[in-house]
Amino acid sequence: MTTDVAQRKILIIEDDADLLMLVRHVLEREGYRVFVASNGADGILVNEREDPDLILLDLRMPDMDGIETLRNIRECDKKVLVVILTGYGCPDTIREAADLKVSEYLSKPFANKDLAGVIGKALLP
Amino acid sequence: MNESRRLIYVPILHAQEDAGRTDSILTNKKIRRRRIEKQVSAVEEMWKGIAAKIGELNIPWDKTRIYQDGVPVCGNEVALARRLADSGSPNFSFICNAIQEGAALEGTEDMDLLIQEYDLLNKLLMSNAGVDQAASNTEYQAKSRALLILRDQFILNRITGTLQPGELPMVFMGVMHRLDKMLENDFSVSYVIYRLPFRSIGTIYNA
Repeated sequence: MTTDVAQRKILIIEDDADLLMLVRHVLEREGYRVFVASNGADGILVNEREDPDLILLDLRMPDMDGIETLRNIRECDKKVLVVILTGYGCPDTIREAADLKVSEYLSKPFANKDLAGVIGKALLP
Repeated sequence: MNESRRLIYVPILHAQEDAGRTDSILTNKKIRRRRIEKQVSAVEEMWKGIAAKIGELNIPWDKTRIYQDGVPVCGNEVALARRLADSGSPNFSFICNAIQEGAALEGTEDMDLLIQEYDLLNKLLMSNAGVDQAASNTEYQAKSRALLILRDQFILNRITGTLQPGELPMVFMGVMHRLDKMLENDFSVSYVIYRLPFRSIGTIYNA
């Protein structure tokens, strides 16, 4: 994993278009290269294509939820760091996320600086 | 008991200080010290967020009974909480503040089961370099999981057995506990989650 922020790649998988654009803006302002997907299936494909350092993953999405998406990603990518974003956290999903080796579980709403801080720390070696 | 009685459930990750663990095992090398500093910082941030979230709930502290994993039924629960708060645990600092506001801290766990868990964890942490760490970890996880079922059943009985009419139960549990599933039968459970920094802290101490 590179230590240069400008070379760090982050994939956002989020079905809320407004939130996706906001988070994208925050992260691009921090200097990250950002890729986006608005659903789990696209997220899996973008992850394979772009090989990001970290994925920001929404839990509640239609068709394929965040846990199912992550389960698919983990089948072929054990190393990518994952930060879960959720407005509907409960211990069941926390335990599932922990089993799938997420780096952090962050509940919505969150401040922009909190998100930037969480990602910065997650990317530390 | 009223089936829809409200209960606040806060899933947490534990710092070393929450268990009263001394530094001698883990801080004898600089790299380990740095790792622990990162863990402590992450736990402190987590508790700041939890405190802020709970602060928004307008909790009636004088009618709140707190249940905390790792606190045995011993008659000295408050003194134990104060000692752990003084040793730097943000978890118990929060609880001591709540006690000051009028909350009651209830003995939550069976001492014998806690000692069994402590022994298991110590055995894992003290296993030397010659031992297969992955196998030791797997053995610990399996035994700890079985023990956790007994611990959760005991905690459930404590909550239903000690909660007084009109009181609000507030439960702080490590994320690996499955007590939440048991509580949902008797209570309307509201979860308070801010952030859970798994990578910074790890999950091994959270049973």
